[in-house]
Amino acid sequence: MKVSLNWLGEYIDLPTSDVTELTNIFANLGHEVEGVEVLEPQFRDVVIGKVLTVQPHPDADKVRLCSVDTGNGPTDIICGAWNFEAGATVPVAVPGAVLGEDFLITKRDIRGVTSNGMICSAKELGLGDDADGIMVLADDLPIGTPFVDHIELPDVVFDLAITPNRPDAMSMVGLARELAAHFEITYRVPSPELGVTAGEMDLRVDIEDDRCRRFVAREVRGVEVRSAPLWMAQRLVKAGVRSISNIVDISNYVMLELGQPTHAFDRDKVADGHIVVRAATEGETLVTLDGVQRQLTPEDLLVADIERGSSLAGTMGGLDSEVSESTTNVLIECASWDPPTVMRMSRRHGLRSEASARFERGVDPNLPPLAADRMAEMIAAHAGGFIVAGMVDNYPVPIEPHRLRLAVSEVHRILGIPLSKSEVAGLLARLNFAVSADGKGDDDIDVAVPTNRPDVTRPIDLIEEVARLHGFDNFPSRVPTGGNGGLSVEQMRLRSLRWVARGAGFSEAHTSTFSSHADLAMLGLPLDDYRSQTIEVKNPLRDEESIMRTTLIPGLLGSARFNLAHGADSVALFETGKVFFNQESPELGTVPDQPDVFSFVAVGSSGPGDVAGLGRPVDVFRGMALWRSIVDQMGLGSSEIRQAELPGLHPGRGARVVLDGASIGQIGELHPAVARAFDLTGRVLVGELDLNPLVADPGLLSFVEPSVFPPSEFDLSFDVGLTTPAAALLSEASNAGGDLVESVEVFDEFLRGDAKAIGLRVTIRASDRTLTADDVADVRTRVIRAVTDKTGAKLRGG
Amino acid sequence: MDELQQIAQGAPALIGAAQSLEELKAVETELLGKNSVIAQKRRGLGALDPADRPTVGAKINEVFTAIQANLSDRQRQLEIIEENALLVGDRVDVTVPHVRSQFGTQHILTTVMDEVSDIFVSLGYRVAAGPEIETAWYNFDALNTPSSHPARAESDTLYVDFGDPADEMLLRTQTSPVQARYMQQHEPPVHVVVPGRVFRSDSLDATHSPVFHQVEGLVVDTDITFADLKGTLEYFARTFFGAGRVIKLIPHFFPFTEPSAEMHVSCFACDGSGCRVCSNSGWIELMGCGMVDPNVFEAVGYDPSKVSGFAFGMGVERLAMVRHGITHIKHFFENDLRVLGQFV
Repeated sequence: MKVSLNWLGEYIDLPTSDVTELTNIFANLGHEVEGVEVLEPQFRDVVIGKVLTVQPHPDADKVRLCSVDTGNGPTDIICGAWNFEAGATVPVAVPGAVLGEDFLITKRDIRGVTSNGMICSAKELGLGDDADGIMVLADDLPIGTPFVDHIELPDVVFDLAITPNRPDAMSMVGLARELAAHFEITYRVPSPELGVTAGEMDLRVDIEDDRCRRFVAREVRGVEVRSAPLWMAQRLVKAGVRSISNIVDISNYVMLELGQPTHAFDRDKVADGHIVVRAATEGETLVTLDGVQRQLTPEDLLVADIERGSSLAGTMGGLDSEVSESTTNVLIECASWDPPTVMRMSRRHGLRSEASARFERGVDPNLPPLAADRMAEMIAAHAGGFIVAGMVDNYPVPIEPHRLRLAVSEVHRILGIPLSKSEVAGLLARLNFAVSADGKGDDDIDVAVPTNRPDVTRPIDLIEEVARLHGFDNFPSRVPTGGNGGLSVEQMRLRSLRWVARGAGFSEAHTSTFSSHADLAMLGLPLDDYRSQTIEVKNPLRDEESIMRTTLIPGLLGSARFNLAHGADSVALFETGKVFFNQESPELGTVPDQPDVFSFVAVGSSGPGDVAGLGRPVDVFRGMALWRSIVDQMGLGSSEIRQAELPGLHPGRGARVVLDGASIGQIGELHPAVARAFDLTGRVLVGELDLNPLVADPGLLSFVEPSVFPPSEFDLSFDVGLTTPAAALLSEASNAGGDLVESVEVFDEFLRGDAKAIGLRVTIRASDRTLTADDVADVRTRVIRAVTDKTGAKLRGG
Repeated sequence: MDELQQIAQGAPALIGAAQSLEELKAVETELLGKNSVIAQKRRGLGALDPADRPTVGAKINEVFTAIQANLSDRQRQLEIIEENALLVGDRVDVTVPHVRSQFGTQHILTTVMDEVSDIFVSLGYRVAAGPEIETAWYNFDALNTPSSHPARAESDTLYVDFGDPADEMLLRTQTSPVQARYMQQHEPPVHVVVPGRVFRSDSLDATHSPVFHQVEGLVVDTDITFADLKGTLEYFARTFFGAGRVIKLIPHFFPFTEPSAEMHVSCFACDGSGCRVCSNSGWIELMGCGMVDPNVFEAVGYDPSKVSGFAFGMGVERLAMVRHGITHIKHFFENDLRVLGQFV
């Protein structure tokens, strides 16, 4: 809401005009100032003039010779505009005047005739963009007076952000009321003087729908539609509203002044003098003021005559019943509408107007009679005609002030400041709440809430008002602390997990939660894959964001591609985040299953590079190394890598990851076709693991006394089948060796044609003695037997 | 002067003249080796008169020991000289990064969320999380946001197709539904902070993204007042943006708090005198906050006549953009290594 300080002065005598001070006061009242415009006149020495005669120039046909009275008798001025005739009142820049920064007006000779000044357009005066003709002013402006006196400059315009709960503050009077409460001074509400009225209202209004809470109508007959007076047009312009005509401008002016939107109909276009407020019928149409034909439904509320709709209630008028240049009789509508109805209508039809913005927040239902009188008064004053006696006021269920009882102890309990009962009552009274605090010396204050405050319905709302007017700046500070806070084990371990991934050279990423079916198709996932059980976004912003992600991999691949495209030669990223599956959450019910996963991708090279920055090219083993780091650093239980052919992955370079017997995800290289689909070349490592088992509390670790006896180690080399995993040899060897086995490692792998050999290094140690040659031979025999029996391997040279 | 004396006198010069361990070895052989004068004298001891043997033997040993000591001193010297010579040859340019380290970086959003959480953890709060696909009841109704509220429109909120349509499943627009769930599961007192991802139907521009992050806080107890809210936010502002920061609270409107306020902090870059960071206002708008509305307490089963509380919520991207001067919200989601590498 744009507020001109000069205009505001009509309703309140402010003790200050300091912009910074007023900005702070508005903010502390809850009306944040989003901008301040300081307006200065863009001219000097422009006066009101009267055009006495207009004659052709003797020697030029594009301009005319005018005789103008600027207060000192007739003087000649040449003018190139044609939008006026003798009798017009106009702004005249007399010799010595300055327009804009430095355009000095002097006496000039124009083709043999002396021009003693210039008649000005709005644009030349810095008052708008209208340069088509000169400004033609209202005839009652005193000739010779300074033009600046009639446009209220200089001025300051505050742009206030009024919160949606405060329709009462969306008006000049409402803001005067707020400032009056702050300064503890009085403010003025217009009290219209209708003067002589004539005739009698001959209008019937039927309210057939209870979404209309009140309908007030007045009539002014014999008006002349012309431009609005200069001061009014200028006030509207400062408020950001275009000046159209006296009737339309007055309607807007009253809305901005009082906060009550009004509508002016051409009375002669209301059939049979009978207005019906009703729901639209299915399929009914109405052409609104903007020329658009609107398709209506019973959700829409119409002001209609008995033949057809005249306007969309509270939202926009109809084209047919609009006030036009030929209108002579005006019907004023001041109504009160159900706020949600107006909100839905304005949204459905894309019609957000100053009127709907007020109605959807809730306009005081007791305001229409004042607004109707004010409008009638102003029309009679600025458009002529006479006010028809009487007012139609259809108000089925009058709204009374809401009564509340506020306990002062509640004010203390919520605000923590020791305001006395009379202080609380005093603050509320300043805001125009009717308070009665003398009741029996008890704790309670009885409050009647003015009907312009729909936001105040409960004692807590009164407490808010008390806090607001007391001033948030005036509250003390205190810091409460909790007793038993802290991060959970899982939260701390999540931080550790991120640390491990960073230590392995992966940088943390955040990718979008949205995905698309195209992404999943590129990943090569079959329809029965668990990641194909997607949830659709009903109103996605873009096609690429039409489903909730079931895997983080496409997002991470997109980020990898972004980096390669921007010059990186290696990328290693990880992310922890939610994925979403089309099944109910096992923990929460109702909402979908949305577990967290830990995912990573890498392309290029990996590990510490050499001086040229070249590390080992990325392949599946980097993923396995990361997994080993996680198992070791996070103290996880027994883990296993199970080689497998998995959707989207290289058939020979992928694996399931098993932790404590349960599959928790997969690690592998992308299938080359999938990599190509994502515009990536070379080997692409991807991995995705359930997060919860990684960060779950592993319980207390128990100490194992290190043996003081020396270890023994021996190497074994086996010929194995090409598809026999080394992991099988390791686990058999480990099991067969029993308690003495300290570690079994693969120390070599030979591949020759379709032959494969695996070398194992077995380290054994006892906790209670030095091992003998017999101990070593015994373990060696058991390991060889177990490995050869269970995996089909053959001991080389055995 | 007998032969032995001559050798004893000449040995230091001979040993000192050895310029390498190899030369020294030759000198040692010459002085003490099998064919040396000293060795010959030792062998000749047996031929001497038994009465002279101890004196002559002692003399030989004395010379032998002195030469040996001299030799080993010289050996140590030469070893140091030779090693030094080796080290000179072993010199490298240590400014050439022959081995590159490859530590990954932490995302700035995670850093800020952890940092904010930790500030409140230090005050005894717990950290809570909850679902991102949420029911309209938890996201709106429980938070006193009626079904007619414009924030619930499809132009503001993203909805998903799941389960019973009556449940109105949506992408949470704030982390506040976690507060509602937390209160349902815990009796007061509550001190909790909720970092997490939230969603709005906003197209991407410099400061808006359909996906962004918030941290919200909630405190509920029998004696929580507006003064506690003010003090807590002051503590946060000073811990996060530095000592000397002041805050101002400006009345505002949110459905779930009453009274409600917007919290502004004095600009950390210019100390309030006005600069680019604060758009010359001296203040940075940081978060919304207020006293928990009684309707919220009723929705989660708390008695609003017995407990009171405050809540606040801030945008993580905004915090990071303001504090680090990040120019566009896209930088948080592109995962450009040149951006990620600027924060650790």
